[in-house]
Amino acid sequence: MHRSLAPVHAIGHGALRSVAAVGRAGYLGMDAVRALRKVKLWGPHLLSQMTRVGVESVPIALFIATFTGVVLALQASYTFTGAMPLYFVGTLVGKTMILELGPVLTGLALSGRVGANIAAELGTMRVTEQIDALEALAYDPVAYLVVPRVLAGAIMFPMVVVLANALGILAGWGTSLALLDMSSPEFLKGLRLFFEPWDVQFSVIKSISFGVTVTAVGCAFGFHTSGGAAGVGRATTQAVVISSMIILVLDAFWAATLLQ
Amino acid sequence: MEGRKELLVGTVIVFAIAVAVVGTLWLQGTNFGNPTTQVDVLLESVGQLSEGNPVTYRGVGIGQVSSIDVEPGGQVVRVGLLIRRSVELPADAGVVLGPESLFGDWQAEIVSRESFPRFDFFDVPIGSSADVIGGYALPEITRLTASAEQISDNLADLTERMELAFNQETANNLATAIANIEAITQEVRTLVQQQGVIASNITSNADSALTEIELAASAARRSFERVDGVLAAAEIDSLIVDLHAAASGIRNLADDLSDDSTGVSATLTRADSAFVRVDRLAARLESGEGSLGRLLTDTTFAVRAESMLLSLDMLLQDVRENPRRYVRLSIF
Repeated sequence: MHRSLAPVHAIGHGALRSVAAVGRAGYLGMDAVRALRKVKLWGPHLLSQMTRVGVESVPIALFIATFTGVVLALQASYTFTGAMPLYFVGTLVGKTMILELGPVLTGLALSGRVGANIAAELGTMRVTEQIDALEALAYDPVAYLVVPRVLAGAIMFPMVVVLANALGILAGWGTSLALLDMSSPEFLKGLRLFFEPWDVQFSVIKSISFGVTVTAVGCAFGFHTSGGAAGVGRATTQAVVISSMIILVLDAFWAATLLQ
Repeated sequence: MEGRKELLVGTVIVFAIAVAVVGTLWLQGTNFGNPTTQVDVLLESVGQLSEGNPVTYRGVGIGQVSSIDVEPGGQVVRVGLLIRRSVELPADAGVVLGPESLFGDWQAEIVSRESFPRFDFFDVPIGSSADVIGGYALPEITRLTASAEQISDNLADLTERMELAFNQETANNLATAIANIEAITQEVRTLVQQQGVIASNITSNADSALTEIELAASAARRSFERVDGVLAAAEIDSLIVDLHAAASGIRNLADDLSDDSTGVSATLTRADSAFVRVDRLAARLESGEGSLGRLLTDTTFAVRAESMLLSLDMLLQDVRENPRRYVRLSIF
């Protein structure tokens, strides 16, 4: 091959790899759907995965949400002072936390924590041929490894996000009282001013999609890891990067489709 | 170990669901534990009102808008208000929908209709429930803005027309007209004053005329009384005879005067001719004609005449003193 064609070759190689990865992910997803009926295989592992994906993620999610709420209140006050009533701080904190920052920041944080964890775990199992051993023992590795993780992400992500939203709003409320000379009725007036129950539903729908995305991408990259320890590290990094990108794309997609 | 995991997961799930549900209800303004009642409001439109907006009475929040629906037929909107049961509404309650602030959030305010007589509250059909009241929605800011824009356009048009009509020439004409009006006013004032004086004179003249008429009437009355007296005394015949004699005398006198006037006329004719001659003579004297005229007008002539007279006097004096010088008497 001529050296001048190397870039074209690289582009073609990358495209084929991407398409192959998407195809493998598609097959994995179809296998996962088919494996849902094998409850006896994934059922016993669901609780432990919910603990790993959800319960153990609560602290980091609440930490992020707390400081996000504080910053939102301060920046809203900085923006609104002299131009709009300060009770709009409550409006901005509530709307922003519920609709955007709660789900997205939690999703991005958990993509690093949960997605990387899953990709590294399954990748290690792949390169150490543990998954091959499961297949040899007639265990469905997808039902055994993928389904409980994805289900745990779909169930626990909304819980974490709801708690993060609530704590972020509480943090913004406390900041308004302590640092912005606002009163609770003022903040609550703004908080309730444009509140719609649909906002919470929208946040939950987004967080479910983010949970599925983070766990499924982690499972996909880990499940198809190759190349030993380096391959595990590469798969972990790719899982985090790709899941983060998909989270942002989904964020725009849901906003465009559900907030019209 | 498994039980602990279950507890943790269950706790997180239950707590998250509780936070989501209770938080949603709380942010919607649900009064936990406070009994509420439903009040329906009928209106023609609701502006920017939406479900969840606050309901106030005398400025106090007492509930929220729970539902907004268009009635069958599409002519009326029914708004459901969920308010605290403890609040006692006025007998003539009405609902005014309007902006709560300048930022688009609306509210439903329960008011007494007497306080807002200009608002056209919706008339609730007779026979409706007591919990159904009429409402009125204030115009939206967009409508007000549109009206203001139209007013602004009209003002701009009017201003443009004023600029076209009110130029410098118009201003000068107006100033001239004002000056003319001022002069006319002054003249009218003077005329009125004069008319007042004239009227006053007429009035005084009329008074004096009336006085004189009154005096004349008195005199006439006295004359008539005298005439009556004369007639009553039968002196009229002698008076007529005297008048006849007086008339004859006057006629004779007139004849004499006529004769005299003839003589006087001739005398005047002669006098006129004499005056004509005197005038002619005077004219000749003034023009210096003749010796006398030259004497009057030419001073040299007068001096020479005086000199001649002086010489003549001296000659006569010399003749008188020396007659022989001039007269020689010889007999032979």
